Order: sequence, then C-alpha cells, then structure tokens
Amino acid sequence: MDLIITTASQLWEGFRFTIGIFFFTMIFSIPLGLLAAKGRMSKNIIVSSLVRAYISIMRGTPLMLQLLLVFFGPYYIFGIKTGDIEIGPFKFRFIAAVIGFSINYAAYFAEIFRGGIQSMPKGQYEAAQVLGFTKAQTYFRIILPQVIKRVLPAATNETITLVKDTSLAQVLAITELFTKASEQASKQVSVMPFLAAGLFYYLMNALIEYISNHAEKKMSYYS
Amino acid sequence: MNVLEIKDIYKSFGDLNVLNGISLNVAEGEVVAVIGPSGGGKSTLLRCATTLETIDKGEISIGGVTFSSHPDKKTLQDIRNRFGLVFQNFNLFPHFSVRRNITEALIHVHKKTKEEADKICDDLLLKMGMSDKADEYPCNLSGGQQQRVSIARALATNPEILFFDEPTSALDPELTAGVLKVIRELAEEKMTMVIVTHEMSFARDVADRIIFMDGGVIIEEGNAYDLITSPKNERTKAFLAGY
Repeated sequence: MDLIITTASQLWEGFRFTIGIFFFTMIFSIPLGLLAAKGRMSKNIIVSSLVRAYISIMRGTPLMLQLLLVFFGPYYIFGIKTGDIEIGPFKFRFIAAVIGFSINYAAYFAEIFRGGIQSMPKGQYEAAQVLGFTKAQTYFRIILPQVIKRVLPAATNETITLVKDTSLAQVLAITELFTKASEQASKQVSVMPFLAAGLFYYLMNALIEYISNHAEKKMSYYS
Repeated sequence: MNVLEIKDIYKSFGDLNVLNGISLNVAEGEVVAVIGPSGGGKSTLLRCATTLETIDKGEISIGGVTFSSHPDKKTLQDIRNRFGLVFQNFNLFPHFSVRRNITEALIHVHKKTKEEADKICDDLLLKMGMSDKADEYPCNLSGGQQQRVSIARALATNPEILFFDEPTSALDPELTAGVLKVIRELAEEKMTMVIVTHEMSFARDVADRIIFMDGGVIIEEGNAYDLITSPKNERTKAFLAGY
C-alpha cells in the first residue's frame, strides 16, 4: 500500500512538469503556428521562404536535437550563463523545454492551419468584403471560426502527440513523468511504475479526446 | 439621376483582355439585364463594378462616389456601403444562422443596435416569405431559400443598387421560381438592379433594358422586349437563337 502511495506521489511530482510543459507549449505554439501559417502564405517571397525554411527544419530534424540546442546553444555559442536565468518559479531548463517544444509544434500547427485556411472558399472572403467587413473582422468573424472546425481533428492529433512527446524533456534533466517512472522502476525493480505512468498519459489524452469530441459535436450544427 | 456610371473600363487577366472599353449608365429605379455567352465578360463587368476586381482603365461611379484603378481604402468602404451583391452560389456564412447572416454587417459595419438590426431582418424575411427560417442554418435550407436569404442579406444595408451574378444558375429549375418572384417584386418597388442572367424570358419580362455582351464589349443594347424579340445585330440573333 505504501509503495503505491509513494509511486503515485512521485509520479505526480513528475506529472506536474509534464502538464506544465504541455500547457505552455499549447499556449505559445498555437498563436505562433497561426502566425507562421500566415507568413507561409505571405505574398512577400522573403517572408514566405523564411517561414518555409523554418517549417522544413523543424519538421526535418529530431525534436530532441532541437531541445538540446535551445538548452545548450546560448552557453556554447554565445557564452550566456543560462544557469542564472529564471522567470518566476521557472528555471532555465524548463523555459528551454517550453521554447523548444513551442517552436517545434508551431511548425506542425502552421501546416495544419495553412491547410484549413486555404481550404476556405474564396466566396466567403468576397461576400464579407462586399458587405463592408474590414480584413480583421472578416478573419476573426467569418474565416477563423470555420477554419477551427476544419482543423480540429488534425490539431487534436498533434495535441495528443505533444502529451507523449513531453517525455523527451528528460534530455534536459527535467524530472517529468517519464523520468520519475524510470527512477521508481529501477528503485523498485518493477515495471509497475512504467505502467502507472502509461496510465497517466493515457488519462490525459482521453481527456483531450473527450474535449475535442465535445467541441466537434458543438460545431456540427453546420456543414 | 444615374446610380451607376461606368465609363470606358478595361480589364485584362495577363494576356487575356476581358473587358475592352465598356460604358454603361443605370438610372435610379431602372432594371438592367446583362446577357451574353460565357466568357463574354458579363461576370467580370459585375465583379469590377462591385470592387472584387480592380479595373485597369476607366472609371466607375456608384451613388456619386467615383473610383478608378487604384481606389483608396476610404473610397472602397464608401462604395461598398452603397451596393449589394447577390452571388451565383450564395456565399452565405455557413456558421451563422439566417438571422446572423443578415444582421452581422448591420451591427458590425453599419453600427446598428441589435434591436434595429433584428427589426430590419424580420421585415426582410417576411418579404422573402421566410419568417419561420430566422434561426435555421444555411445548410438546412434549399438552394432557393439560401438565395433568398442572400438577397435579404444584400438588401439589409439599404443599398442604392443591387447586383445579381446569375442568381438562379446554381439552382434546380423548380427552385428558380421563388427567387425570380422576389427579384420581380423588387423591380416593381423600383429597386435599381443590374442582373447578369441566362433566363431570357425573365430578362424580357422584368428588365427595362437589356445589354448583350460578347468579347468584352457591349454588342447591342436596348429596350428589353425589343432586344429579345427582334435583335438587330447578327451575334445577338445567333445567341438568342440558342434559347
């Protein structure tokens, strides 16, 4: 019984980091992805090529490598003492993880959003335009709500992958859920902590699936 | 007084010259039908007049506001508040109810209160025979009903002129009657309208004047009845013989 409680509380400790990385990554990567989608579709060739290169690199190199670069890069390349950097309760390793995950996921989200935006019929823009809506009104009132409906399944997919990918934060020595599970597993000489960690991930993703399905249902009043 | 004045406009897409010097005046209360073969420039003319395409040369005035090839933002906004456009495939906003489709621009562009906008919407839906559909979504309506909603949406902002781009071409034949009836009623109320259409008998009955366009120019124009029943130009004759 004691063992279960220790395991659970240890895993919970790690899970807090997992959730932290997940939430901050979502908060930053979605707007960044939207911005990158816009940039990728820009008529300005310099902007669109830069964004295209960014997306290509982010998708074409390992996330683990990107995390390591964000964490070690500032010191090894610029000699910045990152150990002292803290924002509120957050240490630099955590900040680096959030930055790494955010710029990586923003690239994937950007392509999902771009697909959604480009799938919108031209007539929607034209109807809004002749009715006198400004560009911003057209975007936020007419286009974006319909794009959200179209990209929800793909974006949910990406979100679920992010939950599991947070385990990569262990390369920055962040004691997230998976690190804790490994520790406990070797301490107890048992696979139970791994299975328990699996349950944590699964429950979190089940919740995401539930929210996504619910949102999809709410938006199913039109086609 | 002329609500619409088009002066010698030109428009090309790359090497393709679509409009080659079109001039057209439409007086207040007049209904003008534009007919002609596909690719003859009818839709482009309408799209230029409604600011969806920029013209290369010439001048267009709507309600006394003039714009040319590079209108500034303020002029565009001013022009867009003066006309309504009904699209071939409706282009209703699918995520908005019928009511919101009609009131959204009233509230957010024309700064009417929700109550004022609702009143306008209710009056228009009554006129369209669709009072019971205010809370429906476009996907639950027939094509004819959707087109009537889009006419209501275009009318809501009280435009000086209404443009129609083949308003019945996307509809099944049995659904066109309701839409044509609404346009006919608007004509009786002396709404100024320019209608691009393939419905010749409708054009003959409802329009005051018909313009026959081909190759980016106006080939023939005149009194609706005369032009349909006794066209003078050979190309007009050949085109109408197909109907």
